[in-house]
Amino acid sequence: MTGNMYDGLRITRAGSGNQRAGVTEYPSGSAAEVRMSESTATAGLFRHVAFFYRTAEEYATTMAGFLGDGVAAGEPTLAAVPEGQLGLVTDALGADARRVEFADMTEMGRNPAWIIPRVQAFVGLHAGQHVRYVGEPIWASRSPAELREATRHEALINLAFAGADAEILCPYNAAQLGQAVITDARHTHPLLLSDGSAGTSAEYAGPFGLPSSCSAPLPARPDTAVIHTYRSDLSQVRALGMESAGEAGLPDDRASDLVLAVSEVAANTLRHTPSSGTLAIWHDPHEIVCEIHDDGVITDPLAGRRRPAPDALGGHGLWLVHQVCDLVELRSDTTGTTVRMHMAIRSPRPLR
Amino acid sequence: MDLLTTSVATVESDSEPYTLVELTGEADVTNSDALREVLDAEVAKQPRTMIIDLSGLRFMDSSALHVVLRANRVMDRQGGVLALASPREPVAKMLRLTAADQLIPVYPSVREATAG
Repeated sequence: MTGNMYDGLRITRAGSGNQRAGVTEYPSGSAAEVRMSESTATAGLFRHVAFFYRTAEEYATTMAGFLGDGVAAGEPTLAAVPEGQLGLVTDALGADARRVEFADMTEMGRNPAWIIPRVQAFVGLHAGQHVRYVGEPIWASRSPAELREATRHEALINLAFAGADAEILCPYNAAQLGQAVITDARHTHPLLLSDGSAGTSAEYAGPFGLPSSCSAPLPARPDTAVIHTYRSDLSQVRALGMESAGEAGLPDDRASDLVLAVSEVAANTLRHTPSSGTLAIWHDPHEIVCEIHDDGVITDPLAGRRRPAPDALGGHGLWLVHQVCDLVELRSDTTGTTVRMHMAIRSPRPLR
Repeated sequence: MDLLTTSVATVESDSEPYTLVELTGEADVTNSDALREVLDAEVAKQPRTMIIDLSGLRFMDSSALHVVLRANRVMDRQGGVLALASPREPVAKMLRLTAADQLIPVYPSVREATAG
Protein backbone atom coordinates (compact mmCIF):
# COMPACT_ATOMS: atom_id res chain seq x y z
CA MET A 1 0.00 0.00 0.00
CA THR A 2 1.42 3.33 -0.92
CA GLY A 3 0.90 6.70 0.63
CA ASN A 4 -0.78 7.27 3.92
CA MET A 5 -1.58 4.00 5.64
CA TYR A 6 -3.71 5.79 8.14
CA ASP A 7 -6.40 6.32 5.50
CA GLY A 8 -7.09 2.61 5.56
CA LEU A 9 -8.16 2.84 9.15
CA ARG A 10 -11.17 4.92 8.36
CA ILE A 11 -12.72 1.94 6.64
CA THR A 12 -12.63 0.17 9.99
CA ARG A 13 -15.20 2.47 11.37
CA ALA A 14 -17.73 1.41 8.73
CA GLY A 15 -17.80 -1.89 10.56
CA SER A 16 -16.91 -4.76 8.22
CA GLY A 17 -13.58 -6.39 7.56
CA ASN A 18 -11.78 -9.67 7.59
CA GLN A 19 -10.23 -10.65 10.89
CA ARG A 20 -6.85 -12.30 10.65
CA ALA A 21 -4.48 -12.72 13.53
CA GLY A 22 -6.08 -9.90 15.41
CA VAL A 23 -5.64 -7.39 12.64
CA THR A 24 -8.31 -6.61 10.14
CA GLU A 25 -7.09 -6.12 6.63
CA TYR A 26 -8.85 -4.01 4.12
CA PRO A 27 -8.80 -3.91 0.37
CA SER A 28 -7.09 -0.90 -1.08
CA GLY A 29 -9.48 1.57 -2.56
CA SER A 30 -10.23 5.19 -2.52
CA ALA A 31 -9.56 6.14 1.04
CA ALA A 32 -10.79 9.65 0.33
CA GLU A 33 -14.16 8.28 -0.75
CA VAL A 34 -14.47 6.22 2.39
CA ARG A 35 -13.53 9.18 4.51
CA MET A 36 -16.19 11.34 2.90
CA SER A 37 -18.88 8.72 3.30
CA GLU A 38 -18.21 7.91 6.93
CA SER A 39 -17.17 11.26 8.24
CA THR A 40 -20.68 12.25 9.27
CA ALA A 41 -21.54 8.85 10.69
CA THR A 42 -18.52 8.66 12.97
CA ALA A 43 -17.83 12.31 13.61
CA GLY A 44 -16.85 12.85 17.20
CA LEU A 45 -15.82 9.27 17.79
CA PHE A 46 -12.74 8.82 19.94
CA ARG A 47 -9.97 6.87 18.20
CA HIS A 48 -6.80 5.54 19.80
CA VAL A 49 -4.43 3.93 17.34
CA ALA A 50 -1.08 2.18 17.86
CA PHE A 51 1.14 2.58 14.82
CA PHE A 52 3.97 0.04 14.56
CA TYR A 53 6.72 1.35 12.28
CA ARG A 54 10.04 -0.07 11.20
CA THR A 55 11.55 2.56 8.95
CA ALA A 56 11.97 6.31 9.03
CA GLU A 57 10.17 6.58 5.68
CA GLU A 58 7.15 4.69 6.93
CA TYR A 59 7.14 6.87 10.04
CA ALA A 60 7.42 10.16 8.18
CA THR A 61 4.80 9.28 5.56
CA THR A 62 2.15 8.11 7.99
CA MET A 63 2.72 10.92 10.46
CA ALA A 64 2.61 13.52 7.72
CA GLY A 65 -0.59 11.92 6.39
CA PHE A 66 -2.31 11.92 9.77
CA LEU A 67 -1.25 15.42 10.73
CA GLY A 68 -1.60 16.82 7.21
CA ASP A 69 -5.21 15.58 6.98
CA GLY A 70 -5.89 17.42 10.24
CA VAL A 71 -4.32 20.61 8.97
CA ALA A 72 -6.27 20.34 5.69
CA ALA A 73 -9.50 19.98 7.65
CA GLY A 74 -8.63 22.93 9.85
CA GLU A 75 -8.43 20.71 12.94
CA PRO A 76 -6.23 21.55 15.92
CA THR A 77 -3.28 19.14 15.84
CA LEU A 78 -0.64 18.40 18.46
CA ALA A 79 2.36 16.12 17.99
CA ALA A 80 4.57 15.03 20.89
CA VAL A 81 7.42 12.77 19.83
CA PRO A 82 11.01 12.34 21.04
CA GLU A 83 13.17 15.29 20.04
CA GLY A 84 15.20 13.23 17.56
CA GLN A 85 12.06 12.33 15.62
CA LEU A 86 10.68 15.86 15.30
CA GLY A 87 12.74 16.70 12.20
CA LEU A 88 11.42 13.66 10.31
CA VAL A 89 7.86 14.80 10.88
CA THR A 90 8.35 18.49 10.14
CA ASP A 91 10.32 17.72 6.95
CA ALA A 92 7.60 15.39 5.69
CA LEU A 93 4.88 17.91 6.51
CA GLY A 94 6.57 20.81 4.75
CA ALA A 95 4.63 24.06 5.03
CA ASP A 96 1.83 22.34 6.98
CA ALA A 97 4.22 21.92 9.90
CA ARG A 98 3.62 25.55 10.83
CA ARG A 99 0.02 24.70 11.67
CA VAL A 100 0.85 21.79 13.95
CA GLU A 101 1.81 22.28 17.59
CA PHE A 102 4.93 20.25 18.38
CA ALA A 103 6.37 19.12 21.69
CA ASP A 104 9.44 17.13 22.66
CA MET A 105 8.02 14.03 24.35
CA THR A 106 11.25 13.37 26.28
CA GLU A 107 10.38 16.58 28.14
CA MET A 108 6.57 16.75 28.01
CA GLY A 109 6.25 13.06 28.87
CA ARG A 110 9.42 12.38 30.85
CA ASN A 111 6.98 11.54 33.60
CA PRO A 112 4.22 9.84 31.58
CA ALA A 113 1.62 11.07 34.10
CA TRP A 114 2.17 14.60 32.76
CA ILE A 115 0.84 13.70 29.31
CA ILE A 116 -2.89 13.19 29.87
CA PRO A 117 -3.43 16.59 31.57
CA ARG A 118 -1.36 18.27 28.84
CA VAL A 119 -3.50 16.71 26.09
CA GLN A 120 -6.69 17.38 28.04
CA ALA A 121 -5.69 21.04 28.18
CA PHE A 122 -5.23 21.00 24.38
CA VAL A 123 -8.63 19.34 23.88
CA GLY A 124 -10.21 21.79 26.33
CA LEU A 125 -8.66 24.77 24.58
CA HIS A 126 -10.32 23.62 21.34
CA ALA A 127 -13.63 22.50 22.83
CA GLY A 128 -16.22 21.76 20.16
CA GLN A 129 -13.60 20.89 17.56
CA HIS A 130 -12.30 17.54 16.39
CA VAL A 131 -8.71 17.31 17.67
CA ARG A 132 -5.78 15.24 16.44
CA TYR A 133 -2.90 14.22 18.66
CA VAL A 134 0.21 12.19 17.97
CA GLY A 135 1.86 10.86 21.12
CA GLU A 136 4.99 8.72 21.17
CA PRO A 137 5.56 8.10 24.88
CA ILE A 138 7.56 4.89 24.52
CA TRP A 139 11.11 4.65 23.20
CA ALA A 140 13.82 2.04 23.53
CA SER A 141 16.02 3.78 26.12
CA ARG A 142 13.20 4.16 28.67
CA SER A 143 14.02 2.47 32.01
CA PRO A 144 11.89 -0.55 33.06
CA ALA A 145 9.98 1.61 35.57
CA GLU A 146 9.39 4.27 32.89
CA LEU A 147 8.18 1.61 30.46
CA ARG A 148 5.70 0.33 33.04
CA GLU A 149 4.36 3.83 33.60
CA ALA A 150 4.29 4.76 29.90
CA THR A 151 2.33 1.56 29.19
CA ARG A 152 -0.06 2.41 32.02
CA HIS A 153 -0.44 5.88 30.54
CA GLU A 154 -1.36 4.37 27.16
CA ALA A 155 -4.04 2.23 28.83
CA LEU A 156 -5.42 5.21 30.75
CA ILE A 157 -5.75 7.26 27.56
CA ASN A 158 -8.80 5.10 26.74
CA LEU A 159 -10.44 6.06 30.01
CA ALA A 160 -9.38 9.70 30.10
CA PHE A 161 -10.59 10.47 26.58
CA ALA A 162 -13.57 8.12 26.27
CA GLY A 163 -16.23 9.99 24.31
CA ALA A 164 -13.88 12.88 23.50
CA ASP A 165 -13.88 14.25 19.98
CA ALA A 166 -10.25 13.27 19.55
CA GLU A 167 -8.13 11.09 17.33
CA ILE A 168 -4.91 9.82 18.91
CA LEU A 169 -2.08 8.13 17.02
CA CYS A 170 0.73 6.48 19.00
CA PRO A 171 3.84 5.49 17.03
CA TYR A 172 5.88 2.51 18.26
CA ASN A 173 9.31 1.76 16.83
CA ALA A 174 8.78 -1.96 16.27
CA ALA A 175 12.35 -2.34 15.00
CA GLN A 176 13.79 -1.27 18.37
CA LEU A 177 11.21 -2.05 21.04
CA GLY A 178 10.91 -5.49 22.63
CA GLN A 179 8.11 -7.85 21.72
CA ALA A 180 6.58 -7.48 25.19
CA VAL A 181 6.16 -3.74 24.64
CA ILE A 182 4.46 -4.31 21.29
CA THR A 183 2.17 -6.95 22.82
CA ASP A 184 1.20 -4.47 25.55
CA ALA A 185 0.42 -1.84 22.90
CA ARG A 186 -2.03 -4.30 21.34
CA HIS A 187 -3.74 -4.52 24.72
CA THR A 188 -3.85 -0.76 25.27
CA HIS A 189 -5.03 0.33 21.82
CA PRO A 190 -8.43 -0.46 20.31
CA LEU A 191 -7.02 0.21 16.83
CA LEU A 192 -3.80 -0.87 15.16
CA LEU A 193 -1.84 0.24 12.14
CA SER A 194 0.88 -2.18 11.09
CA ASP A 195 2.63 -3.53 8.00
CA GLY A 196 0.41 -1.60 5.67
CA SER A 197 -2.82 -2.79 7.20
CA ALA A 198 -5.19 -1.15 9.61
CA GLY A 199 -7.86 -2.48 11.87
CA THR A 200 -9.10 -3.25 15.31
CA SER A 201 -6.99 -4.95 17.94
CA ALA A 202 -8.45 -8.29 18.99
CA GLU A 203 -6.35 -8.09 22.19
CA TYR A 204 -7.63 -4.67 23.27
CA ALA A 205 -8.34 -4.90 27.01
CA GLY A 206 -11.04 -2.21 27.16
CA PRO A 207 -10.99 1.21 28.86
CA PHE A 208 -10.39 -0.28 32.32
CA GLY A 209 -7.91 -2.94 31.22
CA LEU A 210 -4.29 -2.69 32.34
CA PRO A 211 -1.58 -5.00 30.99
CA SER A 212 -0.01 -7.10 33.74
CA SER A 213 3.38 -5.47 33.08
CA CYS A 214 2.06 -2.25 34.61
CA SER A 215 -0.43 -3.60 37.15
CA ALA A 216 1.41 -6.54 38.75
CA PRO A 217 3.05 -5.88 42.13
CA LEU A 218 6.16 -3.71 41.84
CA PRO A 219 9.61 -5.32 41.87
CA ALA A 220 10.84 -5.87 45.44
CA ARG A 221 12.65 -2.95 47.02
CA PRO A 222 16.32 -3.47 47.89
CA ASP A 223 17.28 -4.80 51.33
CA THR A 224 19.31 -1.65 51.88
CA ALA A 225 16.18 0.54 52.02
CA VAL A 226 15.76 2.71 55.10
CA ILE A 227 12.39 1.95 56.69
CA HIS A 228 10.33 4.33 58.83
CA THR A 229 6.87 3.74 60.26
CA TYR A 230 4.66 6.76 60.92
CA ARG A 231 1.31 7.24 62.54
CA SER A 232 0.86 10.96 63.03
CA ASP A 233 4.19 12.79 62.79
CA LEU A 234 4.55 14.01 59.23
CA SER A 235 7.28 16.48 60.16
CA GLN A 236 9.51 13.52 60.97
CA VAL A 237 8.60 11.88 57.65
CA ARG A 238 9.62 15.07 55.84
CA ALA A 239 12.86 15.40 57.82
CA LEU A 240 13.83 11.85 56.93
CA GLY A 241 12.99 12.46 53.27
CA MET A 242 15.07 15.66 53.21
CA GLU A 243 18.02 14.00 54.92
CA SER A 244 17.98 11.01 52.54
CA ALA A 245 17.66 13.27 49.51
CA GLY A 246 20.71 15.19 50.67
CA GLU A 247 22.71 11.99 51.18
CA ALA A 248 21.72 10.79 47.71
CA GLY A 249 22.96 14.05 46.19
CA LEU A 250 19.63 15.45 45.09
CA PRO A 251 19.81 19.25 44.64
CA ASP A 252 17.88 21.30 47.24
CA ASP A 253 14.97 22.34 45.02
CA ARG A 254 14.33 18.78 43.90
CA ALA A 255 14.71 17.53 47.46
CA SER A 256 11.89 19.93 48.41
CA ASP A 257 9.80 18.50 45.57
CA LEU A 258 10.35 14.95 46.79
CA VAL A 259 9.54 15.95 50.38
CA LEU A 260 6.27 17.54 49.25
CA ALA A 261 5.34 14.36 47.35
CA VAL A 262 6.19 12.07 50.26
CA SER A 263 4.32 14.29 52.71
CA GLU A 264 1.21 14.38 50.51
CA VAL A 265 1.09 10.59 50.20
CA ALA A 266 1.75 10.16 53.94
CA ALA A 267 -1.01 12.70 54.66
CA ASN A 268 -3.40 10.37 52.82
CA THR A 269 -2.52 7.65 55.32
CA LEU A 270 -3.56 9.96 58.18
CA ARG A 271 -6.68 11.13 56.37
CA HIS A 272 -8.01 7.84 55.08
CA THR A 273 -6.72 5.01 57.25
CA PRO A 274 -6.86 4.24 60.99
CA SER A 275 -3.47 2.56 60.95
CA SER A 276 0.15 3.50 60.40
CA GLY A 277 2.01 3.80 57.12
CA THR A 278 5.48 2.70 56.11
CA LEU A 279 8.04 4.84 54.31
CA ALA A 280 10.95 3.12 52.57
CA ILE A 281 13.79 5.09 50.99
CA TRP A 282 16.67 3.86 48.86
CA HIS A 283 18.96 5.26 46.21
CA ASP A 284 21.58 4.31 43.67
CA PRO A 285 23.86 6.62 41.66
CA HIS A 286 21.00 7.41 39.26
CA GLU A 287 17.93 7.92 41.38
CA ILE A 288 16.41 8.15 44.82
CA VAL A 289 13.17 6.31 45.44
CA CYS A 290 10.67 6.89 48.24
CA GLU A 291 7.92 4.34 48.69
CA ILE A 292 4.91 4.59 50.94
CA HIS A 293 2.66 1.70 51.80
CA ASP A 294 -0.52 1.91 53.81
CA ASP A 295 -3.92 0.23 54.20
CA GLY A 296 -5.75 2.81 52.10
CA VAL A 297 -7.40 1.99 48.79
CA ILE A 298 -7.33 4.26 45.73
CA THR A 299 -10.02 3.20 43.30
CA ASP A 300 -9.79 5.95 40.67
CA PRO A 301 -7.28 4.84 38.03
CA LEU A 302 -6.86 8.46 36.91
CA ALA A 303 -6.21 9.85 40.41
CA GLY A 304 -3.63 12.62 40.13
CA ARG A 305 -3.74 12.66 36.33
CA ARG A 306 -6.53 15.23 36.00
CA ARG A 307 -5.76 18.85 36.79
CA PRO A 308 -8.07 19.84 39.65
CA ALA A 309 -9.96 23.11 39.29
CA PRO A 310 -7.90 25.76 41.10
CA ASP A 311 -10.66 26.35 43.66
CA ALA A 312 -11.41 22.65 44.21
CA LEU A 313 -11.22 21.74 47.87
CA GLY A 314 -9.71 18.33 47.17
CA GLY A 315 -7.75 16.36 44.62
CA HIS A 316 -4.59 18.45 44.78
CA GLY A 317 -2.55 15.92 46.75
CA LEU A 318 -1.88 13.22 44.15
CA TRP A 319 -1.82 15.88 41.45
CA LEU A 320 1.15 17.50 43.19
CA VAL A 321 2.83 14.12 43.73
CA HIS A 322 2.75 13.39 39.99
CA GLN A 323 3.75 16.95 39.05
CA VAL A 324 6.87 17.20 41.20
CA CYS A 325 8.26 13.68 40.72
CA ASP A 326 10.11 12.27 37.74
CA LEU A 327 8.07 9.09 37.92
CA VAL A 328 5.35 7.76 40.21
CA GLU A 329 4.15 4.17 40.35
CA LEU A 330 0.95 3.38 42.17
CA ARG A 331 -0.53 -0.01 42.99
CA SER A 332 -3.71 -0.29 44.98
CA ASP A 333 -6.05 -3.11 45.84
CA THR A 334 -8.07 -4.24 48.82
CA THR A 335 -4.88 -5.14 50.70
CA GLY A 336 -3.56 -1.58 50.55
CA THR A 337 -1.80 1.02 48.47
CA THR A 338 1.83 1.37 47.48
CA VAL A 339 3.11 4.61 45.94
CA ARG A 340 6.68 4.55 44.65
CA MET A 341 8.14 7.98 43.86
CA HIS A 342 11.27 8.25 41.72
CA MET A 343 13.60 11.24 41.42
CA ALA A 344 16.59 11.26 39.06
CA ILE A 345 19.67 12.49 40.91
CA ARG A 346 20.94 14.32 37.86
CA SER A 347 17.89 15.82 36.22
CA PRO A 348 18.10 15.38 32.44
CA ARG A 349 16.70 18.91 32.05
CA PRO A 350 16.13 21.83 34.32
CA LEU A 351 12.72 21.49 35.89
CA ARG A 352 9.97 24.02 35.59
CA MET B 1 7.13 23.79 70.19
CA ASP B 2 4.17 23.71 67.89
CA LEU B 3 4.73 22.73 64.30
CA LEU B 4 2.71 25.72 63.15
CA THR B 5 2.24 29.02 64.91
CA THR B 6 -0.15 31.73 63.82
CA SER B 7 -0.25 35.34 64.85
CA VAL B 8 -2.98 37.76 63.92
CA ALA B 9 -2.94 41.54 63.94
CA THR B 10 -5.03 44.37 62.63
CA VAL B 11 -2.66 46.77 60.98
CA GLU B 12 -3.44 50.44 60.55
CA SER B 13 -2.23 51.71 57.23
CA ASP B 14 -2.41 54.95 55.26
CA SER B 15 -5.51 53.83 53.43
CA GLU B 16 -7.50 51.44 55.57
CA PRO B 17 -6.74 48.83 58.20
CA TYR B 18 -6.10 45.26 57.10
CA THR B 19 -5.87 41.91 58.83
CA LEU B 20 -2.41 40.38 58.84
CA VAL B 21 -2.04 36.67 59.58
CA GLU B 22 1.52 35.41 59.98
CA LEU B 23 2.16 31.70 59.59
CA THR B 24 5.39 30.22 60.93
CA GLY B 25 6.59 26.63 60.74
CA GLU B 26 5.02 23.80 58.77
CA ALA B 27 1.37 23.66 57.71
CA ASP B 28 0.04 20.18 56.96
CA VAL B 29 -2.90 17.86 57.53
CA THR B 30 -2.03 17.50 61.22
CA ASN B 31 -2.68 21.18 61.94
CA SER B 32 -5.04 22.24 59.15
CA ASP B 33 -8.08 22.15 61.47
CA ALA B 34 -6.36 24.60 63.82
CA LEU B 35 -5.43 26.82 60.87
CA ARG B 36 -9.03 26.70 59.68
CA GLU B 37 -10.28 27.89 63.07
CA VAL B 38 -7.90 30.84 63.04
CA LEU B 39 -8.76 31.89 59.49
CA ASP B 40 -12.52 31.33 59.96
CA ALA B 41 -12.50 33.57 63.02
CA GLU B 42 -10.73 36.39 61.15
CA VAL B 43 -12.81 36.05 57.99
CA ALA B 44 -15.98 36.22 60.12
CA LYS B 45 -14.98 39.76 61.12
CA GLN B 46 -15.45 40.70 57.46
CA PRO B 47 -12.24 42.62 56.89
CA ARG B 48 -11.87 44.45 53.56
CA THR B 49 -8.37 43.03 53.17
CA MET B 50 -6.69 40.04 54.70
CA ILE B 51 -3.03 39.27 54.04
CA ILE B 52 -1.44 35.98 54.96
CA ASP B 53 2.31 36.40 55.47
CA LEU B 54 3.97 33.13 54.45
CA SER B 55 7.58 34.22 54.93
CA GLY B 56 8.01 32.03 58.02
CA LEU B 57 6.35 28.99 56.49
CA ARG B 58 8.85 26.25 55.65
CA PHE B 59 6.26 23.80 54.32
CA MET B 60 2.66 23.79 53.18
CA ASP B 61 0.66 20.81 51.93
CA SER B 62 -2.61 20.53 50.04
CA SER B 63 -4.67 20.34 53.28
CA ALA B 64 -3.40 23.77 54.31
CA LEU B 65 -3.97 25.01 50.76
CA HIS B 66 -7.60 23.90 50.94
CA VAL B 67 -8.06 25.87 54.16
CA VAL B 68 -6.68 28.97 52.43
CA LEU B 69 -8.86 28.36 49.35
CA ARG B 70 -11.91 28.07 51.56
CA ALA B 71 -11.09 31.33 53.32
CA ASN B 72 -10.64 32.94 49.91
CA ARG B 73 -14.12 31.80 48.83
CA VAL B 74 -15.74 33.39 51.86
CA MET B 75 -13.68 36.59 51.50
CA ASP B 76 -14.78 36.75 47.86
CA ARG B 77 -18.42 36.32 48.80
CA GLN B 78 -18.10 39.09 51.39
CA GLY B 79 -16.58 41.44 48.84
CA GLY B 80 -13.22 41.38 50.56
CA VAL B 81 -9.78 40.51 49.23
CA LEU B 82 -7.41 37.80 50.42
CA ALA B 83 -3.75 38.03 49.42
CA LEU B 84 -0.69 35.90 50.11
CA ALA B 85 2.70 37.46 50.77
CA SER B 86 6.35 36.35 50.53
CA PRO B 87 6.09 32.58 50.12
CA ARG B 88 9.42 30.72 50.15
CA GLU B 89 10.21 28.90 46.92
CA PRO B 90 8.83 25.44 47.80
CA VAL B 91 5.53 27.00 48.89
CA ALA B 92 5.49 29.34 45.88
CA LYS B 93 6.02 26.39 43.56
CA MET B 94 3.17 24.49 45.16
CA LEU B 95 0.89 27.51 44.66
CA ARG B 96 1.92 27.61 40.98
CA LEU B 97 1.46 23.87 40.35
CA THR B 98 -2.05 23.92 41.82
CA ALA B 99 -2.80 27.20 39.98
CA ALA B 100 -3.90 28.62 43.33
CA ASP B 101 -1.77 31.65 42.40
CA GLN B 102 -4.23 32.31 39.56
CA LEU B 103 -7.03 32.54 42.09
CA ILE B 104 -5.39 34.32 44.99
CA PRO B 105 -2.91 37.16 44.39
CA VAL B 106 0.60 36.32 45.60
CA TYR B 107 2.99 39.19 46.39
CA PRO B 108 6.72 39.17 47.12
CA SER B 109 6.17 41.08 50.36
CA VAL B 110 3.44 42.28 52.74
CA ARG B 111 4.23 45.87 51.74
CA GLU B 112 3.53 45.10 48.08
CA ALA B 113 0.40 43.21 49.04
CA THR B 114 -0.97 46.26 50.84
CA ALA B 115 -0.21 48.39 47.78
CA GLY B 116 -2.42 45.85 45.96
